[in-house]
Amino acid sequence: MSLFDSDFLKKLEYLSLVSRRVFRGRLLAQRRTKQLGGGIEFADHREYAAGDDLRYLDWNVYAKFGDLLLKRFQEEEDLHVYILLDASKSMDCGTPNKFDYARRIAAALAYIALADLDRVSIMAYADKPLDVLPLTRGKDRVLSILKFLENTKTAGTATDLATVAKSLVNRAQRTGLVVIISDLYDQAGFRAGVDLLRHRRFEPHVIQIHTAEEANPTFLGDIELDEIETGQRRKITVTERKLKQYKQLFNEFLISIETYCKTYSLSCTRSTTDLPFDELIMRMMRASGIQS
Amino acid sequence: MLEFASPMLAWWAALTVPIFLIYIIKVRLRRRPVSTLLFWNQLFDEKKPRAWWQQLRHWLSLLLQLAFVLLLVGALIDPLWSWQKNSQRRIVLIVDNSASMKATEAGGITRLHSAKDIAKGLARSLRPGDEMSLVSSGGQSVVHVGLTNHARLLIDGITELPETDAPSALLPAIATAERLLKDRVERSEIIVLTDGCIEDFETIRINPLVKIYGVGKPQENTAITRYQVRRSVMDSVGYQVLIEVTNSGLEEVKTKLELSLEDNLVDVVPITLKAGESQTRILDHTSATGGRLVAKLDSKDALSTDNSAISILPQRAPLPITLVTKGSLFLKSVLESMPLVELTITEAAPESAPKGGLLVLDRIIPEKLPRGRLLIVDPQNNADLMTVGESLEQPLVARVEKDSPLTQHIRLDNVLFPGAKQLTFTRPVESLIRDPLDSPMLARMKRPGGDLWILTCNLEQSDLPLRIAFPVLIKNAIEWFQGNEGQLRPVVPTGTLAAFSIPDDDQAEVKLAEASRDSPKPIEGQEASSLESVNDSAVAVESAAPPQLRRDLHVSSPSGKSLAMSAEGDQALIGPILECGLWTVAPASDTKTETKEGTKQMVGNAKVDYRWAFASNLTNRSESDLKPRGELLTADSLSVVSLGGRAIWFYLALLGLLLVTMEWWLYQRRVVG
Repeated sequence: MSLFDSDFLKKLEYLSLVSRRVFRGRLLAQRRTKQLGGGIEFADHREYAAGDDLRYLDWNVYAKFGDLLLKRFQEEEDLHVYILLDASKSMDCGTPNKFDYARRIAAALAYIALADLDRVSIMAYADKPLDVLPLTRGKDRVLSILKFLENTKTAGTATDLATVAKSLVNRAQRTGLVVIISDLYDQAGFRAGVDLLRHRRFEPHVIQIHTAEEANPTFLGDIELDEIETGQRRKITVTERKLKQYKQLFNEFLISIETYCKTYSLSCTRSTTDLPFDELIMRMMRASGIQS
Repeated sequence: MLEFASPMLAWWAALTVPIFLIYIIKVRLRRRPVSTLLFWNQLFDEKKPRAWWQQLRHWLSLLLQLAFVLLLVGALIDPLWSWQKNSQRRIVLIVDNSASMKATEAGGITRLHSAKDIAKGLARSLRPGDEMSLVSSGGQSVVHVGLTNHARLLIDGITELPETDAPSALLPAIATAERLLKDRVERSEIIVLTDGCIEDFETIRINPLVKIYGVGKPQENTAITRYQVRRSVMDSVGYQVLIEVTNSGLEEVKTKLELSLEDNLVDVVPITLKAGESQTRILDHTSATGGRLVAKLDSKDALSTDNSAISILPQRAPLPITLVTKGSLFLKSVLESMPLVELTITEAAPESAPKGGLLVLDRIIPEKLPRGRLLIVDPQNNADLMTVGESLEQPLVARVEKDSPLTQHIRLDNVLFPGAKQLTFTRPVESLIRDPLDSPMLARMKRPGGDLWILTCNLEQSDLPLRIAFPVLIKNAIEWFQGNEGQLRPVVPTGTLAAFSIPDDDQAEVKLAEASRDSPKPIEGQEASSLESVNDSAVAVESAAPPQLRRDLHVSSPSGKSLAMSAEGDQALIGPILECGLWTVAPASDTKTETKEGTKQMVGNAKVDYRWAFASNLTNRSESDLKPRGELLTADSLSVVSLGGRAIWFYLALLGLLLVTMEWWLYQRRVVG
């Protein structure tokens, strides 16, 4: 069974329709940039200054109150969506596979963006960018995106989002929405990377994926753990007490991610791989609706 | 010293090698891929085990597993102490349940109780192929459980082993044990659990089959070691008490001896006894009435059984005698001179002797002799049991039977019995005085209706009445007819047989005679005897008379337990007697009811009829001396051998199980959980 079968594509279409009906004017390309300019939608007033174009003076206010206020309009422009897909080896585990799950989410988001006439770029990364799909636009590019995702494999011996973010910032022509799909086990790099994106006026959106087994391991006794990303091994004796401590630690990790995102008003979505990807997308849509 | 029943199984110890190897290469370690070690590193690096036992944790697990295997192997090879080394052992366990084993030790536990505990431990330590038998030696040798490998049966037998008041019969018990083991002596042994208060200790000790293990510690004890009562010969209402008190302890004892007759205090005698001293007292008292005479020592020592003794004092009852004569002055005078005799003189012979008394026939006797006890003097005519012949040619006393009670204390050598006639009897008689031609001049005959005493001598012509021998002869005859009634009721020592004379309707007569240990033992299935049990001890009842009237009797022990038995004739042997106190015998035809407790009592006769009773006491110096007669093996060593009642392998396996449980709890529980 291929990663993106016909069922998957049907679900993508369904999600696209739902996004338009429910969140009309609120998604992706229809999001308004914060730039003020020659749009048609009123944004706010400002004091008139000498030399301003009198066409934008609000005569109604002047007539009522005698104040000279200039009308400002929101400038509309199409959105650039950058999807950073964690393709480190730590993603290649679990049932269902964490990387497959991430790719499906990436495909869904790209589909929805293309459907809304936004530009989409996908960057698979580990400790550095592994593969990049340049900015593309138009629904007819969906197949190339799916093909790109299907051909993407996990690689690398580490994860470093900071380096990847730096690379993205340098090569991106415009700022835009950056969707990071990762397990975020690279904590230091993750924070540095997101900080860099924030500082360069990108809008980071974090989608954290982990397996249920990672959150609630059930193994006990003497075990040799094999880290699939680095190949590092460790012999430990897992007791019930240690398991309890692990779960507490993992929970603290999740909370720290959430706290970080809330601190900087970043949207953050967390999910385990056993949740159907379309359900996750729907949840994201609802969350966006509430925020906007 | 330890040996092993199955040393070949020690090869199982090789299991430790793979366990060690498995442990070293950590076979149990499972490899598990994880996406990151981030959290595990954090978890384990932050809280590294620092305590020494935590660092040795895995080694301790290995040690526990190895110890478990080694203990299991230890249980498999079945370690044995030297006495257990032979397989298929055959053990006869003799538990001494004699009177001295009732002595209480510290903590109020009797020696017998301790011996039972040890015996149960031995029974539990039996291994496959072993056999054990349980024999008791209190008063008599009794096989309670034959050779068996069934530990439960043995333990039940040990639990039900009764206490007795009888002296130890260890020699017969060992003889019984040897008979049990005679078909295979090798790998056989006799284990005796005793307090060592036994006679013939050395004889037993040198027996190679026997190992004597001691129970209890030496104790101080003061006891009544002899006790008899008899009516005074001189005084018709007086009686004498022979009593011996022995201090078998190591310290001087001051005590009081209380004597009571039918619960009325008669005398109190202060006694001071040095260590090991015995004092014998003869106490004279007067009482026409009889009853239960109890001697009691005011002493609280380890053994209470020997602090009191009981006997039956016969009642002095008047003796009715009917004299049928035409004027025999000598007979009349001598009978009247005897105390307690109620004499009736008549010329016509009655059909029977007076009830409880006797009939004296002078010269004239009816053709059919009257029933009852008869004393016939100078018969002149024939009767149904005898024929009177011609006068003897030489009526000179030639031989007197000196051993007979009828002729004791008399000398009649060369005395003439003028007018003596030749007597011929139709039944066997015992000739007590004979002439030179061996013709009977004085004879006695036993018959079912009453015994006969026949003297052929013309008292008017003879100088016999003028001799002192004449009243003695008549008194002997009367006493013989009476038996010991009125004079002596011998007390039966426990562990012996009691010969009980059954009173009949016409003449209530109780005659007890102590029977020696060598008395004929009851034989199972004998026609004239029955063997049943009272108080869990064997009591034999045997008729001592020729097969006659069969009578059903009930014997009640002092503790109230009863035995139905049957005897033929007028005498029965009861015993061995294993309980101290008053035993009662009653004809089964008497009205009797079962009490709630199941004991039987006479109805309508609240007081015991002492004619139907006899007393039994311990009165045994050997049993009352609560010190062992020789060196005994310590019973504690037997306890160690059985380690509280189980074989060593059991405890090794138990310890192994404990260790493996501990290992599981410490190391595997959370893994399984």
